[in-house]
Amino acid sequence: MKIPRLKLEASVPAVAMGDIAFLLLIFLFILARTNDTSHIRWKPATAPTVKSASVAVAEVAIDADRKLFLNGRNIGVASLGTELTRILGDRPAGQRAVHLKVDLRTPAQYFEPAIEAISSAGGELVHILEEEKTAP
Amino acid sequence: MMRLKRRALLLEPPASATSDIAFNLIVFFLVCASVQPDTGREQLIPKVDEQKEKSRQSQNIEVSLTPKIIIVNGEPVPLEKLSSRLASLLAGKNKPEDKVVLVKSDQATPYQRWIQVTGLVESAGGTITLRLEETKSTTVN
Repeated sequence: MKIPRLKLEASVPAVAMGDIAFLLLIFLFILARTNDTSHIRWKPATAPTVKSASVAVAEVAIDADRKLFLNGRNIGVASLGTELTRILGDRPAGQRAVHLKVDLRTPAQYFEPAIEAISSAGGELVHILEEEKTAP
Repeated sequence: MMRLKRRALLLEPPASATSDIAFNLIVFFLVCASVQPDTGREQLIPKVDEQKEKSRQSQNIEVSLTPKIIIVNGEPVPLEKLSSRLASLLAGKNKPEDKVVLVKSDQATPYQRWIQVTGLVESAGGTITLRLEETKSTTVN
C-alpha cells in the first residue's frame, strides 16, 4: 500500500500582510528623514511667540562648541553660502526655507556670518526657537 | 418543524494578533513623538544693493547691540523701552526701505539676546538688516 505524503503548505498568512505593510511604511518614512541632526548638541533660544516652522530645504546649525553644520554635516563658514546656493537652486519663493538652529549662548561672531550666508544665497531664514515658558 | 440554529459569529480578535497590534502601536507613537515639528520665527533679511545701501544707511535707524547695552541711534535704551522707542522712530515711515533697521552686534553678543532684540525690532515694524564688521587680513613679508 502506498501512503500519500502529507503536503505542507507554505503560504504567508494574509492577516499579517497589513502589519508588514505598516511596518514597511514606517521604516521607509524614517529612512526618508535623511538629515539626521541628532548628534548636534544645542539648546534653542526662547521667544515669547513662535510659529510652527515650514518644511526646510536645508538646515544650518551651530552647536554648543560653535561648530557649523549644514544638513548635519560639519562645514566651514566660507563654503556655507556656495553650498546653500547649490541646494536652493532655482526653487521659487516660498519653497526656500532654511532652518537655523543656534545654541543660545553662541556669540554673534559665529551666527551672524551664517545668517548673512543664508540671506545672500536667497534662503528664507527661519530661526528655530522654543516658546518662552511663563511661570504659573 | 425543525428549527435551524444560527451559527454564532466570532467577534473577538484572534489572541495571537494582540502582540502584533501592541508592537505596531508602540512603533507608531514612537515615530510620532520623534517627528514633532520644529517651532520658530521667520525672519526676512533683505538682500540690498551695496551702492543703494551706502546712500541710505545714514537715514536708517541703527541699533548697536552688546551683551549688556542697547544703543539706538547713538543713545542707550533699556530693553523694556526699546519697543516703544523704535515704534516712535518708525511711526512716520511708510516705505519699506525706510523701515530698515541696521543691527550692529558686538562679537560677544549671545544669540539669545540677539533674538530677543530683533524680535522687538520686528514687532515694532522694523525690517532687520545686519551690519557686519569686515575683517581684512594682510600678509606682510
